[in-house]
Amino acid sequence: MKITALLVLKCNPDGSDPVVLATAMDVSHFGYFQRSSVKEFILFVARTVGKRTPPGQRQSVQHEEYKVHSYNRNGLCVMGFMDDHYPVRSSFSLLNQVLDEYQKNFGESWRTAQADNMQPWPYLNEALNKYQDPAEADKLLKIQRELDETKIILHKTIDSVLARGEKLDSLVEKSSDLSAASQMFYKQAKKTNQCCTIL
Amino acid sequence: MASPYRDRTAEFRSLSQTLKKIGGTTTAVDQPNNSFVSPKPPNPASSRSEFNKKASCIGLGIHEASQKIARLAKLAKRSSMFDDPIVEIQELTALIKDDITALNMALSDLQTLQNLEIVEGNYSQDRVVHSTTVCDDLKSKLMGATKELQDVLTTRTENIKAHESRKQIFSANALRDSPFRQHAQPVTEPPPWSSPVKASESSQPSARRPAVDNAPSHHMEMSMLQQVVPRQENYSQSRAVALHNVESTITELGGIFTHLATMVAQQGELAIRIDDNMDESLANVEGARNALLRHLNQISSNRWLMIKIFAVIIFFLTVFMFFVA
Repeated sequence: MKITALLVLKCNPDGSDPVVLATAMDVSHFGYFQRSSVKEFILFVARTVGKRTPPGQRQSVQHEEYKVHSYNRNGLCVMGFMDDHYPVRSSFSLLNQVLDEYQKNFGESWRTAQADNMQPWPYLNEALNKYQDPAEADKLLKIQRELDETKIILHKTIDSVLARGEKLDSLVEKSSDLSAASQMFYKQAKKTNQCCTIL
Repeated sequence: MASPYRDRTAEFRSLSQTLKKIGGTTTAVDQPNNSFVSPKPPNPASSRSEFNKKASCIGLGIHEASQKIARLAKLAKRSSMFDDPIVEIQELTALIKDDITALNMALSDLQTLQNLEIVEGNYSQDRVVHSTTVCDDLKSKLMGATKELQDVLTTRTENIKAHESRKQIFSANALRDSPFRQHAQPVTEPPPWSSPVKASESSQPSARRPAVDNAPSHHMEMSMLQQVVPRQENYSQSRAVALHNVESTITELGGIFTHLATMVAQQGELAIRIDDNMDESLANVEGARNALLRHLNQISSNRWLMIKIFAVIIFFLTVFMFFVA
């Protein structure tokens, strides 16, 4: 479950090539010499998919072993390159978050950008690192996971309560035996007491 | 399906009765006539009513078949890219075809029956005309139903073809092949997009974020990707499903907690029982201890009495010995 890259592009509605606004890539699992070509490749694919995504649409495209998820909102397009195991919904919620963050940070200045902006945006980099685990990005997934854990814990609790119940059952039996035995003891003592008064 | 012909046999009969009554001279002749005629009209009446019965059966069957065709038409129109009720449609089509063939055969039987009747008895012209009209009517209705079925099947095949072409477009759109193909693709893409636009109307923006997308929604509807619609619905649907799961998990957890509380309460009762048993045994043991203590005291204080008793025994022994010795 890996995110390989996150990109923010400005998509023009007239269909020309989108302008790259911010990128964060994790190409550490490729060999050293392949990294630059992989980066170029990612940029190219992102541009193409961004060009094809109409505004206000979410799109997921399968490309070799990656899924490219893109979300275009009012001309600002954010894309994520994830592998097949990453849940689609989490990826889109992550893209939403990145989009909101970008708009909060940069306001509307991206609309005038014409050239690719290669300056790193630290939020994107740390987002890439933090959200390798889809549960971080998607609150729903996190909640579901925690609820499942709680359910498991509760099941264990119930099992131990059942064991406690069994022990309490045996204690009840033993205590009732004890009380019967003590009753017999009392009667016996009274009997011996009564018959020795003659002597 | 209001039948254009009406069965006025009853009217005719009542009219003839009244006419006979009015023409009173023939009443005496009519008695044997009636008794003679009355077995007879049941015969043609029965065969005529048999003809009528068959015709009404066929009419009913045609009506049912046309209802089924209407349902099929609705299904075929409704079918979209996702959840296509193919099996249902095919079943329904097969059923309708069987019905229509059966109705055809029944209609041809009716035709032969009618011809037989015409040849058999010298019926009046009215009856012949009536029966031919009935047959023609049923035939035309059956033909209308068959034509409707044809139309529905054509629309269905058109739908399927449109789906296939859309699927092909979007499978070619995926970035699987070399980059060069993608430059060639956009030229051909806009025309196929324009045709699905008319078929695909709303349903897409309502499921997603309406607050954001209301402004470009009109622009969206013009250039809508059919493949994206199920994807976006999938997104919101998956969110809805996830929320549903979370909600059901939370309810389950609540149930588990209640279960736990019940069990702990029951075990609390058990603990109380144990407590009572222990108190009882404590009381018993306490009583026994006291009894034994008294016993001990009695035994320890009994020595004095025992000396006295032994003294008495020794006294009796000596008295006894005095007597014997």
